[in-house]
Amino acid sequence: MDDDRFYQLMEIYRNPEHQGELEDFDRSSEGYSSSCGDRFKVFIKLEKGRIKNISFRGDGCVVSTVSISKVCGYVIGKTAQEVEKMDIEDIKDLIGIQNISVSRVKCATIGLETIKQALLVGHQADL
Amino acid sequence: MKILDPRIVREDFPILHRKINGHKLVYLDNAATSQKPKQVIDSIKYFYENINANPLRSVHTLAEKATEVYMDSRKKIAEFLNAEQDEIVFVRNATEAINLVSFSFPFKPGDRVATSYIEHHSNLLPWLELKAAGIKVDVVGVDGNSELDMAYYSKPRKDLRLVAVSQESNVTGTINNVKEIAKDVHKNGSYILIDAAQSAPHMEIDVKDIDADFLVMSGHKMLAPFGIGVLYIKNSVQPIMKPYLRGGEMIKSVKLDKITYESPPQMFEAGTQNISGAYAYGVAVDYLKRIGMRTIQNYEKGITRYLYNEARKIEGIKIYSGKSRQYGSIFSFNVDGLHSHDVAYFLNKKGIAIRSGFHCAQPFIEDKLHIEGTARASTYFYNTKEEIDIFLSELKSIVRKYGRR
Ligand SMILES: Cc1ncc(COP(=O)(O)O)c(C=O)c1O
Repeated sequence: MDDDRFYQLMEIYRNPEHQGELEDFDRSSEGYSSSCGDRFKVFIKLEKGRIKNISFRGDGCVVSTVSISKVCGYVIGKTAQEVEKMDIEDIKDLIGIQNISVSRVKCATIGLETIKQALLVGHQADL
Repeated sequence: MKILDPRIVREDFPILHRKINGHKLVYLDNAATSQKPKQVIDSIKYFYENINANPLRSVHTLAEKATEVYMDSRKKIAEFLNAEQDEIVFVRNATEAINLVSFSFPFKPGDRVATSYIEHHSNLLPWLELKAAGIKVDVVGVDGNSELDMAYYSKPRKDLRLVAVSQESNVTGTINNVKEIAKDVHKNGSYILIDAAQSAPHMEIDVKDIDADFLVMSGHKMLAPFGIGVLYIKNSVQPIMKPYLRGGEMIKSVKLDKITYESPPQMFEAGTQNISGAYAYGVAVDYLKRIGMRTIQNYEKGITRYLYNEARKIEGIKIYSGKSRQYGSIFSFNVDGLHSHDVAYFLNKKGIAIRSGFHCAQPFIEDKLHIEGTARASTYFYNTKEEIDIFLSELKSIVRKYGRR
């Protein structure tokens, strides 16, 4: 990652989109990384089997925060099956960093994993 | 006293000459593991090229030689701690040593054990686990300066069997007065286990003077290779302990209806041991002794003081360590507005290695510091004042560029 890219990410980190708590949500889940202490909670509103709205709350590093914010924006309108298929490659594109080092993979994926977990719990039927 | 010249000792550490991301490596993650001098690295090669055999049992020359170097290392480590040879048990690391004691100590339901908030997970989880066996577990508190609640230890408690406490915290650098704690603990008729994983690399330890019952350390934090550590068990305490792992090398005689165990330390060293590791541990201890632990401690005090004095002038960082009356070479901090991982990331880009996150002390960091982790720089005797300057200057630049505006 070059300094400029990181600088851009810092801007997003300070004011990430989709941050906050939805008043009206169907699903919620908490994600936690024991190595770094990153902790996120996601809130999902569903409609006709698709994600209508989504938000997150919590604290993390630049990589995890930007990642969860970008993933939130990307999954709106998608089904649980579509989200389930997403992986680190999608995240690389979303945050614009191709070379995520081993120690940061957990940071990059904690958001997506938390969203997947929220979609899994409860009844698969209403999706 | 001898004065340590870091430029000379650095010549012994090949890795310190390598470049990271185009910059000279500045290794400040010594609390996680130390680098190894070539004397130690060479000793492992020497062992496998000249000595390698399974010790203790066979009578051929190599086996005898392997036995000899294994025993010799035990002796060196005993001398290092002012212990007796048969008080030194080789284990994998501090974690295994503590788990061994938590298993082999004769706890009964209703007994009480004390750990503390300042402990590494490895000196916390084995004790918390004992709750399931009906043992009460106290977690001794710390005050705002990361000083232990010493009043806990001086209060007589009938059911308290064992107190586990670290000599130096790996988060705050706090150095606990374990000698004073030991005195109180013994007055109460209890035993004390001292986690010296963080202290042993940096200071002289005399188990007799402290009056430790158990003391643990990890070789890899004090110049030795991974996978070798030490559990000291005081002679007079040994008879109450039951065996841990069972198998070869730890028995005197085996009949299917009667097993007679070796006496310690062999009783606790079941199976073929890490002989090359133990051998190299002896070489590491020789190296430390040659420089002198007091010389090391004195030198480190100087650069640590310098680091703190300069860092305290930086606006936009918070420092979590170094508040206690006595502290070691650990500097835990955060840059306002940045996660510790990101600070570590920026520093690494300039070749500076530090640790970030929880440092395996999650309850302390969350419950007492109320944060999500810290960045931690930790020095050793081969770090120079110039390296501290590089670290500080990079830290300032990170604060300026990315800190909370
Ligand atoms: C104070 C303390 N105790 C115990 C340990 C555990 O050491 P090891 O992982 O080598 O078993 C550490 C390592 O970080 C430590 O700092």
